[in-house]
Amino acid sequence: MQNSNPSTLSRRTVLRGIGACVALPFLEAMLPARAWASESHYKPWPKSSVKPTPRVIFCYIPNGVNILDWVPQKAGKGSNTSPSLDVLKAHREHFSVLSGLGHPHSTGGHSGADTWLTGADLTSVPGKDYTNSISADQYIAEKIGLQTRFPSIEIGDMSGTGSALHSHTLAFDRNGTPLPTENSPLRLFERLFVPDDLNSRAATLKRFAQKRSILDDIAGDASHLMKKLGSADKAKLNEYLASVRETELRVQRQVGWIDVPKPKVASKDLQLESQPINAHDRPAWLDVMLELSYLAFITDTTRVITFEWSREAGGFGGGGENHHELSHHGGDPTMLAKLAGVDRFHLKALDRFLTFLASTQEGERTMLDHTMIMFGSGMNNGLTGDHSPKNLPLLLAGGGAWGLKHNQHLAHDPDKAPPLSNVLLTLIQKMGVETDRFQDAKGTLTGLA
Amino acid sequence: MKLFNRPNGGRGPNQVILNLCLASPALLCLFVPHAKFHVGLVNPPEKTFTQVVQPFLREYCVKCHGSVHPRSGLNLEALPTNFRDAGIAAKWADVVTVMNGHQMPPASAKQPPAAEAGRVIDWISSQLASAEVAKRSAHVVLRRLNRAEYNNTIRDLVGVDFHPADQFPEDPPAGGFDNIGQALTVSPMQIELYYKAANQILDRALVEGPRPPTIKWHFEPRQNTEGMDRLRVKRDGQDILLNSGANPIQNGFTMVHHDSWDKVIEFRGFKVPSEGEYIIRFRAAGRTPSRIEVADSAEKILKQRFDEAVKANPAGKRYAQEALDSDLLHFKTHRAYDYGPPRIRVVQHLGSAPLTVAEMDIEAKETDPKVYEVPAHFTTQDAGVEIHYAYDIPKYLENFWLQGKDEFARPTLLFDWVELEGPMHPVWPSASHKQLLGDVKEPVTNEGLAVRKVLKRFMPLAFRRPVSPAEIEEKVALFSKHRGEASTFTEALKIPLSAVLASPNFLYLVEQQPSESSSQLLSGYELASRLSYFFWSSMPDEELLSIAAKGKLQDSGVLIAQMNRMLASPKCDSFIKNFVDQWLGLRKVGANPPAMSLYPDYDRHLETSIVGETEGFFKEILQKDLDARDLIKSDFVTVNERLARFYGIPRVRGDAIRVVRVPPSVHRGGLLTQASILTTTSNGTRTSPVTRGVWVLRTLLGSDPGLPIANVGEIPSKVPGIDRATVRVRLQIHRQNPSCARCHDKIDPLGFALENYNACGEWREREGHGYQGRIEADDPLIDAASTMPDGTAIRGIEGLQDQLLKKQNSFFNTLASQLATYAMGRQLGFSDHTMLVNAVSNMKQHGNTLRSLIGSIITSPQFRSR
Repeated sequence: MQNSNPSTLSRRTVLRGIGACVALPFLEAMLPARAWASESHYKPWPKSSVKPTPRVIFCYIPNGVNILDWVPQKAGKGSNTSPSLDVLKAHREHFSVLSGLGHPHSTGGHSGADTWLTGADLTSVPGKDYTNSISADQYIAEKIGLQTRFPSIEIGDMSGTGSALHSHTLAFDRNGTPLPTENSPLRLFERLFVPDDLNSRAATLKRFAQKRSILDDIAGDASHLMKKLGSADKAKLNEYLASVRETELRVQRQVGWIDVPKPKVASKDLQLESQPINAHDRPAWLDVMLELSYLAFITDTTRVITFEWSREAGGFGGGGENHHELSHHGGDPTMLAKLAGVDRFHLKALDRFLTFLASTQEGERTMLDHTMIMFGSGMNNGLTGDHSPKNLPLLLAGGGAWGLKHNQHLAHDPDKAPPLSNVLLTLIQKMGVETDRFQDAKGTLTGLA
Repeated sequence: MKLFNRPNGGRGPNQVILNLCLASPALLCLFVPHAKFHVGLVNPPEKTFTQVVQPFLREYCVKCHGSVHPRSGLNLEALPTNFRDAGIAAKWADVVTVMNGHQMPPASAKQPPAAEAGRVIDWISSQLASAEVAKRSAHVVLRRLNRAEYNNTIRDLVGVDFHPADQFPEDPPAGGFDNIGQALTVSPMQIELYYKAANQILDRALVEGPRPPTIKWHFEPRQNTEGMDRLRVKRDGQDILLNSGANPIQNGFTMVHHDSWDKVIEFRGFKVPSEGEYIIRFRAAGRTPSRIEVADSAEKILKQRFDEAVKANPAGKRYAQEALDSDLLHFKTHRAYDYGPPRIRVVQHLGSAPLTVAEMDIEAKETDPKVYEVPAHFTTQDAGVEIHYAYDIPKYLENFWLQGKDEFARPTLLFDWVELEGPMHPVWPSASHKQLLGDVKEPVTNEGLAVRKVLKRFMPLAFRRPVSPAEIEEKVALFSKHRGEASTFTEALKIPLSAVLASPNFLYLVEQQPSESSSQLLSGYELASRLSYFFWSSMPDEELLSIAAKGKLQDSGVLIAQMNRMLASPKCDSFIKNFVDQWLGLRKVGANPPAMSLYPDYDRHLETSIVGETEGFFKEILQKDLDARDLIKSDFVTVNERLARFYGIPRVRGDAIRVVRVPPSVHRGGLLTQASILTTTSNGTRTSPVTRGVWVLRTLLGSDPGLPIANVGEIPSKVPGIDRATVRVRLQIHRQNPSCARCHDKIDPLGFALENYNACGEWREREGHGYQGRIEADDPLIDAASTMPDGTAIRGIEGLQDQLLKKQNSFFNTLASQLATYAMGRQLGFSDHTMLVNAVSNMKQHGNTLRSLIGSIITSPQFRSR
């Protein structure tokens, strides 16, 4: 082939490099699919056989919303209505709108997904350009994750972790390391529901045994090495050693799940081939990822999910509109109207998900009463197309059985508002984690529970 | 502490401070927006504190924050000035934050003049910055391999090259670079990924059994006379769907004219018999219409539209005629129709995920079609291969509706046949297998001996140093423990080998604490690794290791010879990519691209080309020993055909980046004229003179303009009372507040000078206010002239380049500190001052070459010591 670029190592690396471009922003969106996915025909299950237990899903949309159409005019009980939010009117008794909130440390721009669930001051550590901290979902998963096959599930449209200030994931572990997301419905379905082949039990046990030996061995290497290092290097190596030890513990836990079969879920009507980065497929992809989230909950495969619907500075409306471009509306009424259209497209997908949960009986109530949904953005594009981290669009749904109060608009003055971490702390507590601290939370959010 | 907060993740304050140590006072007044870092070094800090800061605090702050019942527990009367104390520093940082945000003094209290407040903020900021630098260790902290280094090291160590580290999370940078030991952390998730990657690597590298049978499937898409989804062809018992798309056949070629869902050539619905490297091979050519053909074809279509319009509405003939004339002019004159050859994208489907495995121009002529090959890794999942047309013609108002018409002349792909062959094993067992097994004969008879042989060869390479027999025996024990479970020797061998690849000795660049504390010099092996990870982002090769073994590497002459050898190697491209991309911020290209509707020229081919331009530019200056001032202003550019068309440079053919001399009239030459820099310093919809000004200050002059006030918001898109306000005018209104102007007066002129380049880097004389940003005849002219606070006038790009050349010392110092930071993998401190002074002076004595600068760095005591 003749694609010769003199500044590259070999043809092989040229091609690899180009292959890696597949994650680049917009052109792949125009890649024609053979058959565009159509409207989903998947139906909710009538009944859940899981013992009612708290669950939570965090749904993130980028670039902010048309705040004029979004924020309800009035505050208080019964005021969760606005031109955009009326898409959810069937669920009015089951959601609250929160306005005026934000993370005080967040700096705006397109870094909202990085801190949405962490509330971190990303530049707080001298000598490092970027430091994140544990996200609320992982804080919960650390405490209750052992009870399910997957402590948590991370979904995002770009897959992987993205880059600093342009995160493709909402989840960060205790060390502030981003946890990669999945964007393929097929791969996610396989991971959750496709049984390992029958002969695999022995093979899996063997694999775990080998892994434990290797972990043990490299921990030994680290201990030997420790003696030869100066003090700053020792501190670095201790990070490694602690991580190896933690991994050993995780392997032990995984062994416990080997003999528990995966739940049986038929894939009929799930559009597992939908592609997130294809603008035409986008509605079907959102639907199927939410269907898989629903299935993960109803089978008690996990209780904690993060889902970044689109990366910051990216994303599509239902008709392939460029979401990011519209967020730079500069107050232009035409662009604002289109932006509201994108918002309603997202809310329709949320509405469908809430309807799934609400129509599934679980114990004495519905799944919606047992599932908490936080939906919103880490950016507010305001009246003039700002990229502000204050006064974020946010709503909470479900979880009535755990005491979340709904059918209200909790309005706050953006300059005097409590930190968004108060909402996260509320959810953390409702998930059954006993703590009164999370990041910069000053308490739970008044009026929410 | 928000002091060093940068919206774009820039460099730490080290470079700034070090630069100012070297800079002359005259220079400071022009380009250093705050003299803040300077103050702490030149004036005794106590003097400023007692004469400026204390009186200010007494006047405006201590009424509430004094010794008596201090509000919020903050007593500014008694707050010590020991900035090295983290707690005290944090309190001072809070003072800066609230003052910058105008939260203090409260609106109800007496307000200080902006200039006075500015001096106080400057002083506190400078003290905070100095304290941070002073705290830095002058030693490199244990460096973990970052993703690029991991990938390259595996390539060189194991002989498989599939970028396993791309699945690892991004490495956290410090000081703008992602190879800084202090910042490179490890989490349990990464241990999992290292383990997983080690398995993947060894599964690819080691093979078992006889050579897998290969397939070679040949497809002639034109056989599918019905075009789409009709033809199944049998290959090795599989029913493969062959699709030629709705493309016409001419002279035996399938002719692809544009990109559309029904124009894709593909074969799919198959599974390869075994996983491995395959070749997608195809024969193709291209037809590239001339300008006359374009204009003729457009004219026919336009005439037809004109006739229909007149027929439907005879009264509107005049308007139809005007539209016809202006559209025709567009096709006759616009640079977009100086076509290059057709371009294709090869997409592989595995499972459900599409992956672009190649994107390339088809430069072969119709008279001489060529065979092209693209390697791709296939698993045994459901697979497919698609050939897409990928030549983008920007979609302008005049052409978007006729682009897809077959009658419209555009570069056309002539596609003959396509093959899939593999798995490719030029030798069996594979080269990587042989590389790992060394001279171990198979089948293995004495396994104990064999495993020791393999490890004895592999471990010193993986650990980049000699390995003790005890270390080898530990890994042998791992083999023995699990040998019983494994069905073959090779399977069992993977266990100790994966332990090596997950070991800290492999994952970290270990530099041991010397036993006698007097010498901090690195051992030969450690120095070999420093060199190779600097120049190659990879492990030392045989030659380096053998020199290290002889103990000769600490010799300056040997170091310089090795530098020259290493810079000449193709592996040096890793240095160029990793250093240049991070120093200049090229990794941000594409993160927030120019909006397609406003900047239709910006497509993926342009995006890859603009990165290639800047990397190629640095490479040219480095390799050809040109004057480093060419980075600021040059009489040549490094472009390919796509980029040349975009810049309006004629007669450049082909996709390879090459050097082209350009006259001043094209307004190109130097980093600041390159679209990579110009797009990443815009916000996707418009230029951002502030971001551009800050980029110049930080990246080229190493000076930090300080903290912007938090969340001031976007500049408005419209200004009441001003028709078609330019970005410049809107920005000027935006910063009428005097405390904003304090910084912006020094930043914005640098950005205004670049206003002739729009948000995607195109040259313009006017700022477009028409439909979708189009330039109308009476739109405002660009005003790229302004004056710095000290009276220096800067006019346009040429004026800016001239001023920057006058500040060449600042520029050299910045370059030196950036290179030294990257070379050593640590942020610089005060003790590195001498190294930088020497390096810059050596550079100036040797024609300002990058090579002489790098040579001084690697022979400095800092680089050669722990």
